[in-house]
Amino acid sequence: MDASVTGIQEPFDLIRLSLSERVFVKLRGDRQLTGILHAYDGHMNLIMSDVEETIMLVDPEGATNGRSVINVAKRKMEMLFVRGDGVILVSPPART
Amino acid sequence: MDESPRPPSDQSPPPPPPAQSHTGSPTDFLKGVVGKRVIVRLTSGVDYKGVLSCLDGFMNIALEQTEEHVNGVITNRYGDSFIRGNNVLYISAAEEI
Repeated sequence: MDASVTGIQEPFDLIRLSLSERVFVKLRGDRQLTGILHAYDGHMNLIMSDVEETIMLVDPEGATNGRSVINVAKRKMEMLFVRGDGVILVSPPART
Repeated sequence: MDESPRPPSDQSPPPPPPAQSHTGSPTDFLKGVVGKRVIVRLTSGVDYKGVLSCLDGFMNIALEQTEEHVNGVITNRYGDSFIRGNNVLYISAAEEI
């Protein structure tokens, strides 16, 4: 099993190994974040810094021949607390 | 007081043992798929295909070589990923256990 090589025994180990690294977070409501992970807890509440949020907005008004237009909004935040229940997925940077 | 030894009862034979390959608890299944390729479907309908590194009691999942599929189309790839358990609808074995 690869887990023995990577030292991951439980899913939270993946998050622990990503502390102080830039992570990708997928949130409910078609939002995603990238930022430096500073802290987390068992709820997956997160503290992140240097965050860019990307929000996908489907625009039904701009729909042409059945294909709806997706607008992307971005914003940056210096420091962010993310409530854990909004988190769907966290992906750490590629391990080397 | 049981005075006499009971005669062997042929009236009710024990049920035949069920086929071994299809028994086991959900936990046994999950133990069996760790390290194997799986498909994780979220309640949103998004699928994540990858190698299951491990999971915990909340059904939080660590996947390796993750592909995100939306409507059958690959929309993202992650080397590793952590999926928060509350989003999980099912975990399907994608290879022989």
